[in-house]
Amino acid sequence: MEKDIILEVEHIDKNFGKTCALKDASFSIKKGSIHSLVGKNGAGKSTIVNIIAGVYRQTSGDITFEGMSIGHLSFKERQDMGIRLVTQHASVVLDLDVAENIFLGLWPKNKARLVDRRLMHENAQKILDEYGLKVDPYELVRKLTPVEQRKLNIIRAMFGGGKLIILDEPTTSLSIEDRNNLFRFVRHHAEHGVAFILISHYLEEILQVSSEITVLRDGRVYSGNMEQGSTSDKEMELAKLIAGEDVELTYRNKDKKVSEEVVVKCEGISAKFLESTDFQIHRGEIVGFVGFSGSGARELCLALYGMIKKKSGKVTVCGKETDIKSPTDALKYKICLVPNDRHAEGIVPIMSVKENIGFSCLRTSLLGRFGLLDRRKETALAEDFVKRLAIKTQSIYATSGSLSGGNQQKVVLAKVLAVNSTLLILDEPTIGIDIKSREEIMGLIKELTNEGMSVIYLTNDFEELLRIVDRVVIFSEGKIVGNMKNENLTSDMIVNIRDRRTL
Amino acid sequence: MEKLKKGNVDNLKLKFIDNVVWVLLLIGIVVFIILKPTYFNPFTNMGLYLNIPMQASVMGVMTIGLAGTILLGDIDLSCVGIMSVSAAVGILLFKTSHVPVPVAIIAILLMGGLLGFVNGVLIAKLKAVALIETLAMNTTLAGVVLAITRGRTITINEKAYTAVGQGKLFSTIPYLVIIFILIYILMYFVWNRTPLGRSLFVVGGNAKCARVSGINVDKIRIMAFTISGLMAGLAGLMLSSKMGSINSVFGSSYSMDIIAAAVIGGTSLAGGIGKVSGVLGGVLLLNFVQVGLQVFGMDSYYVQAATGLIILLAVLIDSFRIRLANKE
Repeated sequence: MEKDIILEVEHIDKNFGKTCALKDASFSIKKGSIHSLVGKNGAGKSTIVNIIAGVYRQTSGDITFEGMSIGHLSFKERQDMGIRLVTQHASVVLDLDVAENIFLGLWPKNKARLVDRRLMHENAQKILDEYGLKVDPYELVRKLTPVEQRKLNIIRAMFGGGKLIILDEPTTSLSIEDRNNLFRFVRHHAEHGVAFILISHYLEEILQVSSEITVLRDGRVYSGNMEQGSTSDKEMELAKLIAGEDVELTYRNKDKKVSEEVVVKCEGISAKFLESTDFQIHRGEIVGFVGFSGSGARELCLALYGMIKKKSGKVTVCGKETDIKSPTDALKYKICLVPNDRHAEGIVPIMSVKENIGFSCLRTSLLGRFGLLDRRKETALAEDFVKRLAIKTQSIYATSGSLSGGNQQKVVLAKVLAVNSTLLILDEPTIGIDIKSREEIMGLIKELTNEGMSVIYLTNDFEELLRIVDRVVIFSEGKIVGNMKNENLTSDMIVNIRDRRTL
Repeated sequence: MEKLKKGNVDNLKLKFIDNVVWVLLLIGIVVFIILKPTYFNPFTNMGLYLNIPMQASVMGVMTIGLAGTILLGDIDLSCVGIMSVSAAVGILLFKTSHVPVPVAIIAILLMGGLLGFVNGVLIAKLKAVALIETLAMNTTLAGVVLAITRGRTITINEKAYTAVGQGKLFSTIPYLVIIFILIYILMYFVWNRTPLGRSLFVVGGNAKCARVSGINVDKIRIMAFTISGLMAGLAGLMLSSKMGSINSVFGSSYSMDIIAAAVIGGTSLAGGIGKVSGVLGGVLLLNFVQVGLQVFGMDSYYVQAATGLIILLAVLIDSFRIRLANKE
């Protein structure tokens, strides 16, 4: 066995009941490398890292860590050996300070068996210096930026002998700048000998940072290492490998004619972080919104949907002046929103797929005689959408919490599409979703706009944005600083316009 | 394969827990029959069993209203207060102001609904915490009842009023039992077949999601508390007409019973989970156990302790269910 190999996964099989989650999975991870795992939702990525970390036990096969078989050890024992799992949702306690978070549960005690706060903060400062995170150990974690919080999380995994750190989608909902920042941090520590396993859906960033790539598809392992070619070629090839077939990327029709009819018109609309702004959107148009958080892009969406308070301004929908004060009002004008945080705002996990899809039509299309819900209509609606959006679920009666992320997002989409909306606001709709689901969702959006629905598409993924939108609106410091047709635009141009004022 | 079996076992466990109240009721009956066969034999002493729904009617009506607020993830601790104030006000209306009895009955229901509505507005619009707000409301109302009754018992001689609680349809089925059954049928439809009922589950399951989905969360909250108040008012009417009097401690024994019945019936304190049939089972179980213990000559203080134990059991079962449901 090579000397610099830290972890060896050998012929791992894992069955969950009849479903085979992993089949003969073998790969090895070198010391000081960043090893990426990619694959669709449900391909087995989480399963394999959970087996490595000791959360699940494999059905057969073995795992060797630093030459020692660890297949039988518990999560805690593996943690002590240096295998640390950093989960998707930042597991920091927001209302404790940085030092308290670093030593969470391991607080140094003084003679009186009380927490020695001075010692703790001194040690924390040492650790922060050592790992190069410039924050005050007395600062509340709530006040840190998202990227600092994630770094803190990674530091917590590394200090005290972390040798193999598993990062499960560490960049979800970070801006591009923050992502790069985080990866510089990870790469720096990889160079100092820590090995990382990285799970991510962003192929671009994976190709940028990883030393090795392993692709998982239907529980089988494929090598995703590519020798040469341009980044976009590699990305295409990797996407093919992940999907197991050619993924057709969705592009807007270049000759698409946007109707002249204005569907929604905002005049002088303002809210928190949003100065008085005029904006209008035409029938069948897809408008991309770009801007940092607090720039006014999301605020305009939320104000339009009645989620946050409008300070001033007039909104006209299809020529009718509106008074939207809540999402309930917005729905009356057939304005819908797919929220940015699917877990917190998109679904009710304990309720069935069928029930979730019907949430926004309870008092409209699903209402039958005597004020009772029309159960036949509800079932038909759910079955129709499960088929149309290819939602992978055991049945429409399965709880939505049991679905994979991409399929949960499709349920959210089905819920808003069931309304037959005039204007659909999508707030980062493809975050944490595999490529195939992403393209399916984008294709569907395109199709629906051809039928006359208008869409506001809020995202920080410019590549995705430029493929589908008709117009880009750029926000900075509460104002629209750019509003242009999507003709010959590039990501760099957007970034330049967005940052011109902040520079 | 092993995992599949385990998954099935978990599902079976969940099914079992969802219906555990009926299992407990059955166990209770069997245990009592074994301990005192002569008295609890259903073939020779059917009357005992037929009497349970009558015993349970007042409490049952209150419990289903309360369960609606638990479904939201909130709780209504003011049921007993609303019940006694509504009844006291109605009775004063026809005793001192000589208002016709049917009008007084409507006034009782309106009073209950109104107090519930006030709870709802304070909780939904002014964001008061339900637990404390309703506790404060209950204490206030208990004081009002004391002031009205001055610690004395007010007897009701109006036959038109006591007929509700003491009369029987065709001299066989008590009106109280009929009200009890009708309310549960109505609530079954409200919970399972109306937009309001579905919205209760959505708000309890994930209030943020409910709001983003365009459900008027404040309105749903206000509705749930109004219904709870209305049911408490109705229970006040039922109990006062059954007893033919009210006093300052009117209905106070129900305060814990109704929570116990709702929770042991499978209404999750975390919100979003519950069934009307489960609540019914909880109500019947609690009444059966209480009647049974009294038959054994147990001191009423111990009966209260038993109720406390049932709540403890219910809360543990609830937490077990949540843990089981959250397992992957």
